[in-house]
Amino acid sequence: MAEKWRLLDTGLNDAFYNMALDEAIATARSKNLVPNTLRFFRWEPSAVSIGYFQSMDDEVDTVACDKKGIDYVRRRTGGGAVYHDRDGELTYSLIINEDHRLISRDFQKTYETLCSGLVLGLRLLGILAEFKPINDIVVEGKKISGNAQTRGMNVVHQHGTVLREVDPSLMFKVLKVPSEKIRDKMIKSAEERVTSVNRFLKREVGFEELKEALINGFRESFEIEPVPGENHEFEEQLAVKLKTEKYATREWDFKR
Amino acid sequence: MGKAEYKVEGGKLIKVQLKKTENTIEKIKITGDFFLHPEEIIEEMEESLAGRLLNESSLTELIRALIEKREATLLGAFPEDFAKCIMMAGERDG
Repeated sequence: MAEKWRLLDTGLNDAFYNMALDEAIATARSKNLVPNTLRFFRWEPSAVSIGYFQSMDDEVDTVACDKKGIDYVRRRTGGGAVYHDRDGELTYSLIINEDHRLISRDFQKTYETLCSGLVLGLRLLGILAEFKPINDIVVEGKKISGNAQTRGMNVVHQHGTVLREVDPSLMFKVLKVPSEKIRDKMIKSAEERVTSVNRFLKREVGFEELKEALINGFRESFEIEPVPGENHEFEEQLAVKLKTEKYATREWDFKR
Repeated sequence: MGKAEYKVEGGKLIKVQLKKTENTIEKIKITGDFFLHPEEIIEEMEESLAGRLLNESSLTELIRALIEKREATLLGAFPEDFAKCIMMAGERDG
């Protein structure tokens, strides 16, 4: 019988809660309170997340974000700044015990293994996706998914995006650009480097259809059985605490 | 304050901000979209770089040794790339 994982769909939440819940699940996993977990989530309001090592002031136009009601948050994972559109993006997290057969000591290898679930899921939709080192998934050379991983407490946590729909001009309205002059150039170049599920398939793929395909991709690729579940009380309480005391604080978000 | 950016070929972007006195790093901040595990090593790296001479090969060695000692993993950049970007920022300060 296939190994059972917990499947969570936590729907729409703000950026601070979303990042807090990821850390809470990783903590709960490390205490063996919950099984290995596949989580899907979305962002309301739309938000920008930056990598652990990035500077908020360098990367994000926080004045523009405040005006538009867009949240900005620092992630616990490295990598780059990402604009998470409420209606354009599906985000997933994998929280897995470090001793699991899918986990290698080699980070690069683990990225490829964990991304294989997404690659297969996208292929099931008819998108010829491929993993591109270090941490991207591309189709015909264009990025459709970005991923980031961290480890700690004997747990591997990888989260990432799948672009259902994309509008690079929105992205560059909230990210800092070196100068106004080159903003249009950056939007154009992003349009050439980035694609989405809808754009590639030339049809509207709903969030439910996309999730279903990705679940099937993870199931087949990982040889697991994702079983719909709920958050543990410990996770819910810790997430609320981590939101207030960490992810929603200036101290954390502007720490670098 | 000297600032520099260095894009690693096939890798990530490193940004360095530093203040130097004579040829010694006084204060330094390293940012970028690379991966370093465990993440908290970055603060330790910045602290251990303060007070060091701006010498590319010794900075490379210092960063490499810290990563080894902490059994850390750097992804998307090598210690040489950090050192190179630090030197670039050093040249631009003052």
